[in-house]
Amino acid sequence: MVVFPPTTPQEVIALILYIITSHTFITIIIFPGFIHLTLVVMFLTWYERKLLARIQLRIGPLYAGGPGGILQPIADGVKLIFKEVMIPYKADKPLFLAMPLMLVLFAALPFAVIPFGQHWVIANLEVGLVFLFAMTSLFPSMILIFAWASNSKFPFLGGLRSLFQQVAYEIPMWVAALSVVMLAGSLNLTNIVEAQSKIWFIVPAFLSFIVFFIAIMAELERLPFDLPEAEPELVAGWFTESSGAVFMVIFLGLYMKVYLMSSLVTVLFLGGWWGPAFLPQPVWFIIKTLIVATFMIIPRGVYPRLRVDMLIKTGWTRLLIIALANVFLTILLIHSGILSAWGI
Amino acid sequence: MALIDIPPDLTFVALAAVTIIGAILALQARELIYGAVALAISFIGVAGFFVSLDAPYLAMLQIAIYVGAIVVLILFTIMLVRREVGEEAKDSPQSGEGSVGLWLAGLLSLAISGVAALAGPNMPSTLPSGSLPVSELGPTLATQYPIPLIILALLMSATLIGALVLAKVER
Repeated sequence: MVVFPPTTPQEVIALILYIITSHTFITIIIFPGFIHLTLVVMFLTWYERKLLARIQLRIGPLYAGGPGGILQPIADGVKLIFKEVMIPYKADKPLFLAMPLMLVLFAALPFAVIPFGQHWVIANLEVGLVFLFAMTSLFPSMILIFAWASNSKFPFLGGLRSLFQQVAYEIPMWVAALSVVMLAGSLNLTNIVEAQSKIWFIVPAFLSFIVFFIAIMAELERLPFDLPEAEPELVAGWFTESSGAVFMVIFLGLYMKVYLMSSLVTVLFLGGWWGPAFLPQPVWFIIKTLIVATFMIIPRGVYPRLRVDMLIKTGWTRLLIIALANVFLTILLIHSGILSAWGI
Repeated sequence: MALIDIPPDLTFVALAAVTIIGAILALQARELIYGAVALAISFIGVAGFFVSLDAPYLAMLQIAIYVGAIVVLILFTIMLVRREVGEEAKDSPQSGEGSVGLWLAGLLSLAISGVAALAGPNMPSTLPSGSLPVSELGPTLATQYPIPLIILALLMSATLIGALVLAKVER
């Protein structure tokens, strides 16, 4: 019997058990919440290093233990925690320390609406997709504020580039997601996945998949769009002045965002948790997400970097036009009834 | 089963405190970037009000458009358009620009007032009761409130043209 506030020890134990075994607690803390996120993000950092090394005919992390040095993230974390956090002279200390934490917070918040399985979702919001976009649209502002707080030239230039980049990618990204929303008839991510039980939306909305993928590559600041970092020009871009634990927290946020956006691609275009029944739904979801993440990492070993003006020109003259054309194509597809065999 | 019920008044007071304190800080901040951050916090408080009023879609758009974009705009204007101290404002309107603006503004206000006067009696006087699902938002706007929608569209295109005129580079 659960009572609140508890009075006897038995009631305290009953209350703790009730909380720990509740669906809310499990989804927030274990899966798909904090523990799962931390593990996957650590895996992603190792995976990226290993994959890039293979592309460049190197070996990559090897000596940290486990098969292929898979414990490398833990070694990295320990090293970075014990390093000194150097805060630049005349930097704005409160903002400099607060913004990395805000980055992680706003990278982790949208996972609340990502459905990892039919029942594995923390908050089944009616406007989940808009919530996710709203949270991610705050990143360039936070990056610029962090860059300004560093009180240094290279970070500031990187932060300004981040804002320019947002102007280029954000509208094509929203418009590309619009055709998926029209196909599913809902902004709720669970409903969007359920609408793909017969056909994945990558088939009827292939053009918008291409546009969306390019736009989120720009959003994640991955090569060929990593202008805000741009090692040869800007040292390390907007996080030049970060060191030690601050650097670690920023990297945690960035890789969390990579995982977030890969899982969003899975939800919108690759049928989310749907797959043959011999594996549970979340396993299918994570497999698909890691495949998408692989395709996000590979360009880093292959392509050179674009310029800011090229990116903005591409965003406004090509991506936006293709995305808008695809919206009209989707309207035609829906009203012509070609897709009615698949329940759309 | 919720173990603890948070009274709705407490939510309101907390949200109001965040919004008002954020707004005051935005005006009082010495460093302008702190003002921008405080304004963002105030806007997030307003988004919380929308959530508590059963309008989550509006709340998300408030965050995406106001917090995400307006703060960007403020930061840009503060950081890139900083005037030297003592310099006078020099952007007086060129010949013709002012009169065109006046004509447009006059026409627009005439159109808005005329349409409002014609359509006013036919408008439903009460809001739809209860929370409106997002999928009903578009049909309701397009069927029940077409005239206000068109007026808003006119206003937005006027804003867009104004922004283009302001941003036009003189060659």
